[in-house]
Amino acid sequence: MNAVELRNVCKKYDEFVAVDSLSFAIPPGKVYGLLGPNGAGKTSTLRMMIGIIIPDAGDISVLGEPFRRAHTEQIGYLPEERGLYRKMKVLDHLMFFAELKGLSRAEAKKRALQWSERLELSAWTEKKVEELSKGMQQKVQFIGALLHEPQLIIMDEPFSGLDPSNAIVLKDVLLELKKAGKTLLLSTHRMDQAERMCDSICLINRGRSLLEGDLRQIKSRFGMRNVQIKYEGDSRFLHEPRLVQSFNDYGNYVEVRLAPEADPQELLHLAASGARLSRFELMEPSLEEIFLDAVGKSNA
Amino acid sequence: MRNTWLIIKREYLERVRTRSFIVLTLLLPAIVGGAFILPMKIATMKSGGKTPHLVVVTSSRQLGELARIQLLAKDRSDDEEDNSTAKSASENTPDKDKYVIDVDTQPSDAERAALRDRITTGAIDGYIWLSDEAIAQRKAIYSGRNATDFMDKSSLSRALTRAIAEQQLATRGVTNQQADDLFKPVQLEMVRMENGLESKASGGMFFLIFGMVMLLYMAVIFYGVSVMRSVLEEKNTRILEVLLSSTTSTELMAGKLLGVGAVGLTQMVIWMVMAGSLALPSLAMYPSLSEIHISPFALAAFVVFFLLGYLLYSAIYAGIGAMVTTEQEGQQLQIIIVLPLVVAVFVMGPILRAPDSPIAVWTSMIPFLSPLLMFARIAVQPPPAWQIALSLVLLTATIAGILLLCARIYRVGVLMYGKRPTLPEIVKWLKYAKT
Repeated sequence: MNAVELRNVCKKYDEFVAVDSLSFAIPPGKVYGLLGPNGAGKTSTLRMMIGIIIPDAGDISVLGEPFRRAHTEQIGYLPEERGLYRKMKVLDHLMFFAELKGLSRAEAKKRALQWSERLELSAWTEKKVEELSKGMQQKVQFIGALLHEPQLIIMDEPFSGLDPSNAIVLKDVLLELKKAGKTLLLSTHRMDQAERMCDSICLINRGRSLLEGDLRQIKSRFGMRNVQIKYEGDSRFLHEPRLVQSFNDYGNYVEVRLAPEADPQELLHLAASGARLSRFELMEPSLEEIFLDAVGKSNA
Repeated sequence: MRNTWLIIKREYLERVRTRSFIVLTLLLPAIVGGAFILPMKIATMKSGGKTPHLVVVTSSRQLGELARIQLLAKDRSDDEEDNSTAKSASENTPDKDKYVIDVDTQPSDAERAALRDRITTGAIDGYIWLSDEAIAQRKAIYSGRNATDFMDKSSLSRALTRAIAEQQLATRGVTNQQADDLFKPVQLEMVRMENGLESKASGGMFFLIFGMVMLLYMAVIFYGVSVMRSVLEEKNTRILEVLLSSTTSTELMAGKLLGVGAVGLTQMVIWMVMAGSLALPSLAMYPSLSEIHISPFALAAFVVFFLLGYLLYSAIYAGIGAMVTTEQEGQQLQIIIVLPLVVAVFVMGPILRAPDSPIAVWTSMIPFLSPLLMFARIAVQPPPAWQIALSLVLLTATIAGILLLCARIYRVGVLMYGKRPTLPEIVKWLKYAKT
């Protein structure tokens, strides 16, 4: 039983096709990344999963059943467009969110206080939302999506607008939820985050799926076509078009993308003949490279 | 249902708890009350609260006493609108605080000089010179420190005329009782004929009903605008998408309308209780006002038509709020709402004067006008039951239609940010929302 399953889902706004025959499945207990450039159809896809908009065609199943409104009580949703009532007190606000998800008032209060303690908001529960900093408001929003202990957690750009220390706190919470068996769906265009956290991904552009599946498999499918080289001396080997398709100098090291059919061994010899090497390592491509490559091809 | 209830509760509590709600609820009656009561208080305060001390100078002790009774009697102008029982009661119980009156039976020049001195020293405020000669010529003289202020010339002259008449009647053997009977004033009931119909609305009633209709009108706009504002706030703070992941747009809109409506009703009830507790004592003080009365049926109609009118118009306001992104844009579209209300206020006058005329009957059936006009008719003179029923049915059906339409606009519109949609775009929204 998959936590979420989409089969040939389509959504059109007038003439604009937002989502075009999209299919993917998220196994339970996994972190799944829905990746894509801005305007790719990520938010429309998420909105259809939570019933805010309705697909024109195709099926969506949640927790093994066709989507029903009652499922929203099993889903925690953090939209990209965050929002809180500015004049409401933090605790009242959290309780309001939790009660809308079907919790009793007492239970809502208990959990809101526990979560506030955990995310260091205890001192602010009686303050109005508008008195909080942006980062704290984000935490309130985050708690609001999790209070009802959902089986499926859908987060649209969960780390945007957070400082690094808060981002780590939230990342830890998410990984803990994963360990507890919850399913996470993260939508983002920050590839480094996705690469670190996701088990599987679906990369979409213009409403269509470009790549889908286990992240490690996808990366190995792209092969060991990258080399990280640290050297002193002659750099002429970088300009050998037969071997090097492109390179990127990061200062401390250079990352080289091999030309198709090129033998890395040959590059090693060439480099060693002119420069002193302290590192020569074959690498999998980063998700960012895969992303740029795939999106670039599909736009071409 | 549970979600709608939670939203109603949130809307209600968050509004009622605000300082502005408390201030407005208490301050508005204070301002309105102040506007009515303060001028009245100032008018009755007259010469600084001290009871004026007068001396009536006449050779006849009997005439002096009669003049004292008449001067202390309640003001004649009030009596004219009293009903007869209240009148005789007020006439027999003199107003002791009005003046202090001494009777002086020495109308001599020396006495006159002495009285002048007493006015100068402030021992008395004035005297009325009613010598035999003055009586014969019916030419009394009032002299006092302030000849214009506290003595109303016409009521003074009426009091003296009556005193002289009573004394002369007494000398001709007419008893006091008979004299009272003779002087009983004629009460004039004003009935206005228009288009062959009698209008029952007296001046006071007219103003009261007009006031209540204006209250309805202002309340509908005031709470409608606050529904629109709250939709815009939810759009602009981007909270809607969070809410929509837990609830439907229909539940959200219903909760908002009912929550804000409950706030409005609370405020109205507080105001009515305040007005009632202020008005009852003053009704007892001025029996003439008792002619103005609003039946319990009319009060119930006020509440019913307030709620229905509010629902109708605030649903439209919610739709407008969903369509636009800023309050300024919303205000431009408000004309849709204000226009029918202004029309209703315009036809108000003729309808109050002739509540059974064809124009009154038909305009009070039109759903956008009926909340104001049907209430006005009920308050003046309850129309036939079928007319009230038909008007309610039409109004309720329209509300249901508007709610459905606006819920669809709301559903699509709340997730649209950016530019205001054109009419064809709104028609498209209605199509999207069907599924």
